[in-house]
Amino acid sequence: MFTTGSKFLIGASVVALLATVIYGVGQDGVLGTVGLASATVGLIALTVLNAILRDSNVFLDDEAPVETTAAAQPAPSGSVWPLGFAFGAVVVAVGLVSYQPIVVIGLVALVATGAEWTVQAWAERASRDGVHNAAVRSRLSNSLEYPIGATVAAGIVVYAFSRVMLWLSKTNTTIAFAVLAMVVLAVGFIIANRRSLRTGTVGGVMAVGAIAIVAAGAVTGVDGERDIPVFETTAVWQDEAIMHPAEYAEGAAEGKHPAELICESPEEFPEADEDVSQTVANKSGAYQVFLSESGELTFDVPGPIETGATGMAIPRSNPTNVIFRNESNEHRRLSVDLGTQTVEIEEGGETVEVEAPHQLCTSLIEPGGAQLVTVVASVPSFANDGIENPNGPPGADGYWFFVPGVETATLELIVP
Amino acid sequence: MSPLLPGGNHDRTRRRDASTATSVASVTSKSSRVRVAKGAAIVGIGALVTGCAENAVQDTFQPAGTNAQEIDDLARPVFYIAGVVGVIVLGVVAYVVFRYRDRGQPIPEQTHGKPALEIALTILPALILIGVAIPTVGTIMALSETDDTECVVNVTGQQWWWEFDYPVQDGCLPGGITEPIVTSGQMVIPADMNVLIRGTSRDVIHSFWIPRLNGKRDMVPGRVHNLRMQANEPGIYAGQCAEFCGLSHANMRMEVAALTPDGFAEWVENQVADYTPPEEGTLAAEGEASFIANCARCHQVNGLEDDTGNLIVSRPDLQVYPGAAPNLTNLMTRNTFAGATWSMLRPGCRADVWEAPSDEFTDRYLEGVTPDCFAEIDMREWLRNAPAKKPMYADPEKLEPTDGLYRGMPYLALSEDQIDQLLAYLLELK
Repeated sequence: MFTTGSKFLIGASVVALLATVIYGVGQDGVLGTVGLASATVGLIALTVLNAILRDSNVFLDDEAPVETTAAAQPAPSGSVWPLGFAFGAVVVAVGLVSYQPIVVIGLVALVATGAEWTVQAWAERASRDGVHNAAVRSRLSNSLEYPIGATVAAGIVVYAFSRVMLWLSKTNTTIAFAVLAMVVLAVGFIIANRRSLRTGTVGGVMAVGAIAIVAAGAVTGVDGERDIPVFETTAVWQDEAIMHPAEYAEGAAEGKHPAELICESPEEFPEADEDVSQTVANKSGAYQVFLSESGELTFDVPGPIETGATGMAIPRSNPTNVIFRNESNEHRRLSVDLGTQTVEIEEGGETVEVEAPHQLCTSLIEPGGAQLVTVVASVPSFANDGIENPNGPPGADGYWFFVPGVETATLELIVP
Repeated sequence: MSPLLPGGNHDRTRRRDASTATSVASVTSKSSRVRVAKGAAIVGIGALVTGCAENAVQDTFQPAGTNAQEIDDLARPVFYIAGVVGVIVLGVVAYVVFRYRDRGQPIPEQTHGKPALEIALTILPALILIGVAIPTVGTIMALSETDDTECVVNVTGQQWWWEFDYPVQDGCLPGGITEPIVTSGQMVIPADMNVLIRGTSRDVIHSFWIPRLNGKRDMVPGRVHNLRMQANEPGIYAGQCAEFCGLSHANMRMEVAALTPDGFAEWVENQVADYTPPEEGTLAAEGEASFIANCARCHQVNGLEDDTGNLIVSRPDLQVYPGAAPNLTNLMTRNTFAGATWSMLRPGCRADVWEAPSDEFTDRYLEGVTPDCFAEIDMREWLRNAPAKKPMYADPEKLEPTDGLYRGMPYLALSEDQIDQLLAYLLELK
């Protein structure tokens, strides 16, 4: 009914009209609206003229154009690629004005749909046989479409599954995973034991499963992950006291935390000490320090050797896990004093180097509790020979474990 | 008939030629097959012969300690059983392949299932595996036992050398070890004593393996792994990192020197002795100054002081990625360097130590590196340009992944005079 030229003009008129309405409603600019409206009127006029004059129509008594005009060629098959290409262009435009990573998504869509569109257009000109053309297209495109499509589909399913797992509680995650694994096993068992099974049935089951997971992933992803607590550690407070002494003192004056360094304080630092996870995951191969009821620190090193030594030795420059086991009746923390360290702090807008205490500590641990502190001593303890350690016994030098608030609880740390 | 006509003499000649050509091709093919077979036989025999070295220092089939002996006692019978099974299986396969090869015969009738045979071929391997599993599990349990150890050594792996530190303890010798000892490359233990190795790593996963004394044990950062080590007699036993750990993995070696109890006590006494500075005005004294200027940032020499009498404490954590560099306090008491890759002893002197009878080994080992035996060429090359001798990612422009820290000893641009001085100084670290 309509020639190609007429279709083009009708489409252009509709787009121009829509653009005029959208621009006129969404923007204040009168000039732009007038310009677009003028273009729209012009296009509509051309469209009407074309329809009246039936330009480019083929006369029925003219045989030659029947064979040669575009309208006489086999119509191309339906294609979604132009739509996808347009979608990609819009996403790129939206990304450019909003969020840059979206541009990448748009570009991927542009390249993928553009390539598919190109291949399809090329294949449709391979011959006048539509079936052959489709086969040509498939031969070229399927080798890429299938692996990429499968990877994307699997990625979506895995991502959706991960959203579900992060939405559920830790316990329910375990249960859900176990149930899903059993369901997969059962379905696989049933399929394997059926003598005859239609492909459509298997595909249907798989599709339902995939859709269920993706739907669940979408819902749980929108709802968000479960509450995963993040605790401030003692190191944060120790650093805060050293790096920002003025602010730290202000906070102490306002009663937000004790005035001392956290590693020297027997008091509770609410942000660091409350709700701290006291689960010790690494239970094997770790060094242990015990605080007894009588207020003494003892230690145990991996292996059966009773050293009889008064101090605990750890390798130099090696992260060493030390478990603190509080066997006293009070809440206590274990600290280790490694002398001093040079740190850079901001002072009056300038960076200055200062000597600051080098200490590590656990949180405040309840009676019977345990927590792990990882000690890294890059400087050997003999480097502090002759330098009194304020947290060791009177007059002692070197490195010392100590328990704030318990004067008798000291233990030498030897780093060769 | 004309020789030019089809079917005439010319045709017969062509057939004869073709026949001759086929015969020649057959002979050629046969002779090339023979050549290939001979080549394969030579390669195979050569490969077998390489396993027959009498002086293979890392031969797990020459156990020199109780732990390695337990492994050997398990491995040999399992190897024999596996060998017999392998020969039977390969023999049957070869027989079937030859006996039923394709000679144009029709495909025989296909049958399915022979329950008695299938059950027998399932039960028999299961019984063999059970027979192997019982002693295997027993050996694994026995090897993991460490309650009977009497001496402890902390072993720390890093790219690409091993550090051995002896914590203060009651064990190892009467009276115990009263001051920590740190050494590298060669671990010294008392012979005929169960030693507990507490192993870990400072960077990536390594694996500690002295084949003649025990099996492998991975050393994982952040974890402590126990391994029992024991040598029946005084001697030296070579090892090798057994977990690929980067560029110079092949150059990450180690040795265990087992000494008599008295010899070990002498070694300990020497290790904890006070530092003796070189005599003033000597080349070694100049070397000490050069060492302080160029080497002491990373390498610790216990007791070394600067001009003002302050103790010099190395800070390898500021220079190298693992945060450690070999402690050189008694460098010349061990006889290898750079991850035990190069000997500091000349070949004859090295043979005197390595091939010493067990009753003479301790004395020879304790002699350390003497000026007469010092193989200085490798050490000189090492000081001249260490990364050129041992690959260590030492290109300063490629240190971004480690925040500018080296993974080994960098190029120090030392002059030949400085190298002479340093060699003289190092030779006194004993």
